[in-house]
Amino acid sequence: MADLHEEIQREIAANPILVYGKGTKDAPRCGFTLETIQFFNTFGYPFEVIDVLENMPKRQALSEITDWQTLPKVFIGGQFMGDTDILGPMADSGELRTLLEKTFADSGVTPTIQLR
Amino acid sequence: MIAAMLRETMPDATVKVVDMTGTMDHLEVFVTTKAFAGVSLLDRHRMVERALAPARADGRIHALQIRTATPEDTHG
Repeated sequence: MADLHEEIQREIAANPILVYGKGTKDAPRCGFTLETIQFFNTFGYPFEVIDVLENMPKRQALSEITDWQTLPKVFIGGQFMGDTDILGPMADSGELRTLLEKTFADSGVTPTIQLR
Repeated sequence: MIAAMLRETMPDATVKVVDMTGTMDHLEVFVTTKAFAGVSLLDRHRMVERALAPARADGRIHALQIRTATPEDTHG
C-alpha cells in the first residue's frame, strides 16, 4: 500500500495535469473519462491520462488520498481538483485558465490552441 | 429515494433529479441546502457522494453529475 501511495505521489509530481481515469487518451472506456479528455483538449496544455480501470488496489489508494470515491480524478500542479463537475464552473469563471497559466509558468510550456 | 438520502444529513435540502438516459441510474442531481454555505465545491460534492454512497455501492446509481447551490445562490 505504501508503495502505491509513493507511485501516485511520483505521478502527480511528474505531470502538471494528470487524469486518473478509465481507459487511455486514445481509447477512453468511460463517458466521464472521455468528457474530461475533451475538456482538457480545449485548453491546449499537455496532460496525462493514467488508466486505473482494472487496478483496484491503486483505485483504493487514490480514493484514500483524495477522499473522493469516483473516477476520473484530476490533479493540477499536484493539487487534487475533483472532476469536470468542479472544473467546468472554474473554467466558466476564468479561474481554471489562471491556475493553468500559473502551473505552467515556470516550465515554459504554452498552450498549443486557444479555444476558450 | 435520492432526496430522502440527502435529507438524512442535509434536512433542508431541496433536490431535483434528472434521469439522463431513461434508465434511472445515470442521474444529474441538483441540491440546494444551507449546509453548503461557505463550503468549497470539492467538499460539497464529497457531502453529496457520502450521502448517496449506499446507492452507489449497490448499483442503483451508476453515473452521477452533481450541481450544488445554497438558498442564497438560487435567490440571486
